[in-house]
Amino acid sequence: MDILLQQLVNSLSVASVTILIGIGITLIFGLAGIVNFAHGEFLMVGGMATWFMVGAGINFFLALVFAGLLVGALGYAAERCLFRFTLNRPMNGFIMSIGLSVILQHAVIRVFNEFQKSIADPVGQVWTIGGVDIIAMRAIVVAITAVIVAITYFGISRSRYGMALRASVSDRDTAELMGIPVRRYVTGVFIYGSLLAGIGGALMISLFPITPFTGSVIIIRGFAVSLIGGLGNVGGAVVGGLVLGLVDGLSAGYGYPEWTDAYSLVVMILILVLRPQGLLGGTLGPKAS
Amino acid sequence: MRQLGLGLAMAAAGLAMALQTARADEELPIGVIAAQSGSFVSAGNTIVGAANLAAQQINDAGGIKVGDKTYKIKLYIRDNRTDVNVSIAAARELVNDIGVKAIWGTETHDFSVSMAKITGPAKVLQFSGNSSLGAVLDDKAVADDGWLHYAFQSEPQEWQRSGSTAKGVLSLLTPQLKSPPKHSVVFVGNDATGQYLSSHYVKALEAEGQTVDLVQYPPDTTDFLPLLTRIKGMKPDIVHFWYNGDSTLTAFPQALKLGVAPSYFLFGVDPGIYQERSLKADVPVTLSCVPVCWGSSPFPEVKQYFDKYFGLGAAKGPQSSVSLLYYDYFFWYAKALEKVGKIDDPDAVVAELLKSDYKGVVSPVPLVFNKHHQVTFATEVCMVQPNTSDQFKCAVEQPPAAPPPGDNGG
Repeated sequence: MDILLQQLVNSLSVASVTILIGIGITLIFGLAGIVNFAHGEFLMVGGMATWFMVGAGINFFLALVFAGLLVGALGYAAERCLFRFTLNRPMNGFIMSIGLSVILQHAVIRVFNEFQKSIADPVGQVWTIGGVDIIAMRAIVVAITAVIVAITYFGISRSRYGMALRASVSDRDTAELMGIPVRRYVTGVFIYGSLLAGIGGALMISLFPITPFTGSVIIIRGFAVSLIGGLGNVGGAVVGGLVLGLVDGLSAGYGYPEWTDAYSLVVMILILVLRPQGLLGGTLGPKAS
Repeated sequence: MRQLGLGLAMAAAGLAMALQTARADEELPIGVIAAQSGSFVSAGNTIVGAANLAAQQINDAGGIKVGDKTYKIKLYIRDNRTDVNVSIAAARELVNDIGVKAIWGTETHDFSVSMAKITGPAKVLQFSGNSSLGAVLDDKAVADDGWLHYAFQSEPQEWQRSGSTAKGVLSLLTPQLKSPPKHSVVFVGNDATGQYLSSHYVKALEAEGQTVDLVQYPPDTTDFLPLLTRIKGMKPDIVHFWYNGDSTLTAFPQALKLGVAPSYFLFGVDPGIYQERSLKADVPVTLSCVPVCWGSSPFPEVKQYFDKYFGLGAAKGPQSSVSLLYYDYFFWYAKALEKVGKIDDPDAVVAELLKSDYKGVVSPVPLVFNKHHQVTFATEVCMVQPNTSDQFKCAVEQPPAAPPPGDNGG
């Protein structure tokens, strides 16, 4: 029983970082209409920046904020210099983002080196409750993710900005005629999604070491989460992350451990076959015009 | 006027001598194929680092005297971009266009085997540090007309490395535990290399009296908590993190937080990295390097080597020691060329390598190639004292004489 409870707690913590990257992707992919395969590298850059700042003596939580801002700025530069030219041709943007991901990996290798980077656990405590070990930093990651999810959810569903954004996704031309600066909103979403990737990277390096290639691994899960939940749907990304986390935790604990990734992807395929719009429904994603 | 003439004559003589010396120093083209980008870059850079250091040292010492000529090594380094097709293209270019006499590389078995299909027919020697080459280096393959006649495995066979490591781990951990360890869990990445290497290590542990469970994880796993929780439920005496140093460094701190086992073994984690990461455990932890640790070596030659290796700008990483799978063989190859007396007789060089030995840095025992072109040396295992990050006790257990029961040795 202790082991089962431990696996359920593990599932929640596995889900949290995935949810964070999934939200960034679902916003950029589903609302801004950009398929940014370099989003994982944005997360990696956030992690590397955190590693650098913590190594320079900056408090982890301050470094987390700076990492978010830095990657947000990187997102701004990428959107202005690259992706805005591909808004009408999403496939071009997709291919461009693959190139950008390789460039970012090797830029990081050039600036630092190819080796894994890690930081000391910023909290370093483990709480044992009823035979279940709860790692304090993981609990903090879950809490930060919950706060970000709440802010994003209400921002998208309740604020004027969010409503205008959703209107832009439904009918870009009409939204523009109504005076909504759609292009500026796309830029804003891209920056916000990138900022979340930066924060995700900072949180990730507080839990695990990262390498310049970490992003290319985690991006698959990020896309899976956003598709399972429904593109552009923040609540969907949370549900998608929890589903994958639960599948990961329980399959690693009770299935063939070497197939853990396969179980998650089979679940994703099944969901997309049975509910192509995702569990909670969402947008149709990028549209060529 | 007469003095001016004398001066001009001396200058001309000096120039002539310099030109003669330049002519005498001929170029020995050697290829290096290694990942300088892509996911194998940490291992690939160590091959390049070792090659640069060895070539520099040989050239600075006057080069290689072959017959009446002196050769300076000229390295042709190619990035395989962690791609087997690029490795093949690089091998073709080095062999056909540049005409290298030997190639060092590369990081992984299947790349090396693919390269050997180009180096073999061209009679170009190839030194590859892949223990898994044992699966293909057999009597037929290394025969005079075999496709691997010119290939040499510069890392010991896997059953030797596994046997040496298992003995070292158990000899260091047993005195630290309340009762002798009986149950081991080997935790390994589920890729081709992990499957091959762990199959030998499990047999080596069983030969030492351990009951062994094998738990494999998907490559590139970052969150190991669910898998480690499963292992904790198995109640092992030792968890052996096998094969991939980067994954081990990701999983081990998570295992410590969960209190998975009363002792651990971390393969491919150098004491230098353990210290740099400030890792600390309240239970005994053993570490091993591929093949000798840079962070805590009992051998002064190894320490001197790594001082020079890092002095050339190589980064300190979990795989830095992999460079020692490549370094010594430059000197051994140079010695063989000098003995043979010509650089264009690869068959004679192969024969000379097979009958000679070489006392290198990697092993206190002289290196010898067996009839399957495989080298043998021990693996260093270190134990870090509980609650410290920098107190190590190291042991070097010689490999077993024969594969353990159930291990076919391949």
